[in-house]
Amino acid sequence: MHIPDGILTASAAIGGYAATGGLTWFSLRRIKKQYGDPRSGIPRAALLTAAFFAASLIHIPIPPISVHLVLSGLMGVMLGWFSIPAILVGLLLQAVMFQHGGLTTLGINACLMGIPAMLAYYIFRLRFLFGREKPLTNGLLAFIASFLAVALGAFMAALLLIFATPAYLDAAAERQAIIALSLAHLPVAIVEGLFTLMVVLFLLKVKPSLLDGDQL
Amino acid sequence: MIAEAAVSKSAARSLLGRWEARLKVPALLLLVFSFAFVRDLLLLPVLVLIAAIIYALSGLPFSHLLIRARLPGFFLIAMAIILPFWSGQTIIWQLGPLALRQEGLLGLLLIVVKFFTILTVVIALFGTTSLPQLTLALRTIGIPWLITDLLLFTYRYLYQLASDLRQMRTAARLRGFTGTSVSALKPLAFIAGTMLVRSQEQSERVFQAMTLRGYGNSSLPLPSFRPLPVDFLLLAVAISLSAMLVLLQFIL
Repeated sequence: MHIPDGILTASAAIGGYAATGGLTWFSLRRIKKQYGDPRSGIPRAALLTAAFFAASLIHIPIPPISVHLVLSGLMGVMLGWFSIPAILVGLLLQAVMFQHGGLTTLGINACLMGIPAMLAYYIFRLRFLFGREKPLTNGLLAFIASFLAVALGAFMAALLLIFATPAYLDAAAERQAIIALSLAHLPVAIVEGLFTLMVVLFLLKVKPSLLDGDQL
Repeated sequence: MIAEAAVSKSAARSLLGRWEARLKVPALLLLVFSFAFVRDLLLLPVLVLIAAIIYALSGLPFSHLLIRARLPGFFLIAMAIILPFWSGQTIIWQLGPLALRQEGLLGLLLIVVKFFTILTVVIALFGTTSLPQLTLALRTIGIPWLITDLLLFTYRYLYQLASDLRQMRTAARLRGFTGTSVSALKPLAFIAGTMLVRSQEQSERVFQAMTLRGYGNSSLPLPSFRPLPVDFLLLAVAISLSAMLVLLQFIL
């Protein structure tokens, strides 16, 4: 789901940076309001960012292929508003170290992961309404949050690839391509949802405070 | 990024390596954005020429570029399958229901050339810039300290956690875990969960140790900025090239 350099039009790339800039500014405001001194959250957020970065290297077998995890849902669940700068930093490091993703598309890619991460964060916060300690509630919300995060990311990526590339497709082909690209991500969204569900149930047993999102 | 010692020595001595990072990073970023602006096929040879000159100035071996550029371009492959057959009206070759279209092929050419030329400049940029230099450059162009601090800390922990993960997976393999079917999901989730718990606990110790050493008390001033005339000359060249590309795109 990382869009590389050169594929999107310049206006889409610049628009992506503008949207990410706004999202980051808002998240930093929220973080500062929440922590007073946001430095206290940085070592923890950095370690978890690095952990997510390493965990995204895990390949899950979906025979006959294997997919690597996106983890935007789990990041949103665990990092809360810190997930926006964390995703930005993770994507920058991926672009710089492995040429995975792109530099001109960094803004777009940060939106493709950051917006779904925040959606997941707010969905998972429903646990405070439906039972914070119940495994069933936590598992179900974790699955839904992560599934929707991947599905939304894939849908947004498909829209961009169809409408913001220099090539033009006719309306019927555009619709088919969006549906095909989104459906291709369905197994990944299900696997990611199940993976997040299992991680959340594990953390609920071992260290439940990690699931509070804004309690870094 | 200068991580491999073998690459760093020759790259650091090159013209690009000696260019003040606080001018180089914004200048080359501007240049890759102007590459993204290009929509006219006539400008593609110009992009290739600029990218080749920049790479030559980086002092990086050609093999470095080949290794980096080989990394999967999934979207590029998908585009190569979709565009020539579905984009455009002018059919130049047909086999049964498959029709190769001119507009799709030209669109693909534009995307492939832009992808590789931007990648070349980005590899040259980060092959000659260390992480501290990059962080300083980002601070200079106004990126908030919270992001740059997060970047430095994340980089610091990355290799350690990747090695932890490798260790845990080796231990799992030694216990008979093969991980070749969907049932591998649960053990993999537990491995990831364990890594997250360990990271959280370690981060608490790190933060306490850092607070004791003064982290968070005051912001250190940025190191002094003394660029040479050649640094400004290179910046002027990069800005001129970017302006020329955008202008030519509007004229053509």
